[in-house]
Amino acid sequence: MKNSASRLFKPGRYFGVNIAILIVLLIIGFFWIYPFLWVVFSSLKTQRDMFTSGAQLIPETWEWGNYVRAWTEANFSTYFLNTVIYASAATAIEVVKSSMCGYVLARYRFPGRNLIYGVILATLFIPIASIIIPQFNLIRSLGLLNTRFGVILALSGGAGALYVLLFTSFFETIPEELFDSAKIDGANFFQQFWLVVPLARPIIATVVIFQFMSTWNEFNIPLVFTLSRPELRNLAVGMYAFQGEFSVDWTGFAAGTSMSIIPVLLVFFLFQGYFVRGLQGAVKQ
Amino acid sequence: MSEIVAETIASKELADDSISSKKTKQDIPLSKRVSGWDYAWIAAFLAPFLILYVSFTIYPLVATVWYSFHEWNGSGALDEFIGLQNYIDIAQDSSFWLSFNNTIVFAVVNTAIKLPLSLLAAIILTQRWMWFKRIWRTVFFAPLVIPVALAGLVFDFLLNSRGALNDVLTTWGILERPIDFLGTPDTALITIILISVWQIFGQYMIYWMAALQNVPESLYEAASIDGANEWDKLWQVTLPVIRPVATIILFLSFVNALKVFGLVAATTEGGPGQSTYVVSYFIYNQAFRDMPFRYGYASAAAVLFGVTVLIAITLQGYFVRRAQH
Repeated sequence: MKNSASRLFKPGRYFGVNIAILIVLLIIGFFWIYPFLWVVFSSLKTQRDMFTSGAQLIPETWEWGNYVRAWTEANFSTYFLNTVIYASAATAIEVVKSSMCGYVLARYRFPGRNLIYGVILATLFIPIASIIIPQFNLIRSLGLLNTRFGVILALSGGAGALYVLLFTSFFETIPEELFDSAKIDGANFFQQFWLVVPLARPIIATVVIFQFMSTWNEFNIPLVFTLSRPELRNLAVGMYAFQGEFSVDWTGFAAGTSMSIIPVLLVFFLFQGYFVRGLQGAVKQ
Repeated sequence: MSEIVAETIASKELADDSISSKKTKQDIPLSKRVSGWDYAWIAAFLAPFLILYVSFTIYPLVATVWYSFHEWNGSGALDEFIGLQNYIDIAQDSSFWLSFNNTIVFAVVNTAIKLPLSLLAAIILTQRWMWFKRIWRTVFFAPLVIPVALAGLVFDFLLNSRGALNDVLTTWGILERPIDFLGTPDTALITIILISVWQIFGQYMIYWMAALQNVPESLYEAASIDGANEWDKLWQVTLPVIRPVATIILFLSFVNALKVFGLVAATTEGGPGQSTYVVSYFIYNQAFRDMPFRYGYASAAAVLFGVTVLIAITLQGYFVRRAQH
């Protein structure tokens, strides 16, 4: 990244610094991801091995059967599918609604604009604990309790204030001239919006990653909103229920956990560049 | 999760305010003016967000305040208006105040540990000469993708008296006898704080990375021409430049830490004793666990806590600003 000291060192000097930092990071990093490694390796152990091996990671025998069991018997395939549906749908809704709202707030001065902006901003900082009961009552009165649509609605309904503000601050940086010339070319309202959407790619990527990650891991909403329809659970809730329904199949549990976290990590590893750039644009003053 | 980058926001808003207060209608540039059909388009563009936002954020917030004036079990008719009685009871509820204290301790210590360390990580992991940056960032980011409830379960396993950590500590002779870190009143709260730092670290590292990229490289070059070393540059270039953003990161960190819930629910459930009892867990207990359910009472606790903290933060912000001028 563009930052700092880089140019001030002579190339040869990085080597020593790098080795030193590398050693420190290897030690810290090992402890940092030890809980992960522990989960992943536990998913390959036998039940007895898992409890008796203490800090030892490598299994005595490699039990791939844990994955098969988690996937088939414990319905992880269903949970996995549900999670993909929830996370994708909620993310798509989030991107569409917050980009549109952010665009309008940035582009136009209309009556009520400052009020809307102020309220969105204020709710971001309200340290209130739980609002799930009113949300629950709302979804119930819409008749959407225990439906996929209800879960998706609740997941994408609550979030998003921050995303709107990200989009607003981004769209405000776009020069007026761009819109003026588009107007002269006869572009209508929507076409003008469509023209600048591609420019917002870093923000879109940021919203996609944050929202996808948080809905992928969301626990509270899917739990409460699918209580009487276990087949609608997502992975996080499904895994939790895993403990109750089977005589606590811990190794199967670990296998399920591994399956649910690896895709998200992969997304981060691949898109982290966009991620930081999206935020960077947003913090410019 | 989503309380992410309000960096934007506060700095932005300040700027906006100072501009808009001076603005008259004539100053609004042509392309920002609204006329005719534009109003319909604007309404259409705002509708999806606003409808969902009002339904799932504003309405629930208002409803919570309304519930707090009622004796209500969370279902059935909301017809027993009791005025401020819930608040009077809360004020005398010692376990509420205990959880209040624990929550503040949690938020302060958590923030004090997390922010400097994540800034350090961000500085190191944005150096151009660093090797394997992508891998290290992913490593620090990784805990964020474990659902908090599961992280709790994993640490339950690792930290109990027969778990991996005690296994290592006793084998190496650091501990004479194993400690059940989450099951001992003296260690439970700090253990939860550390787990939570571990979990959220990557998010703050990313905030800092975003903040750091706004420091112009020319400033560093100028500093090094003046003979500054890395340490001087940190204190005299980096920190002053990112200070406005840092204030917001600090604020976000604190407000979010106050909401701690999942980790407590998944590890100690407030115990042992009440050593890790936090406000959100108190609310959860009152509303969903202890019979009879007292949703009105729990709502009053939520509102009282929220308002107290908001006042404290606002006052603090006021005094800090006064001290700076």
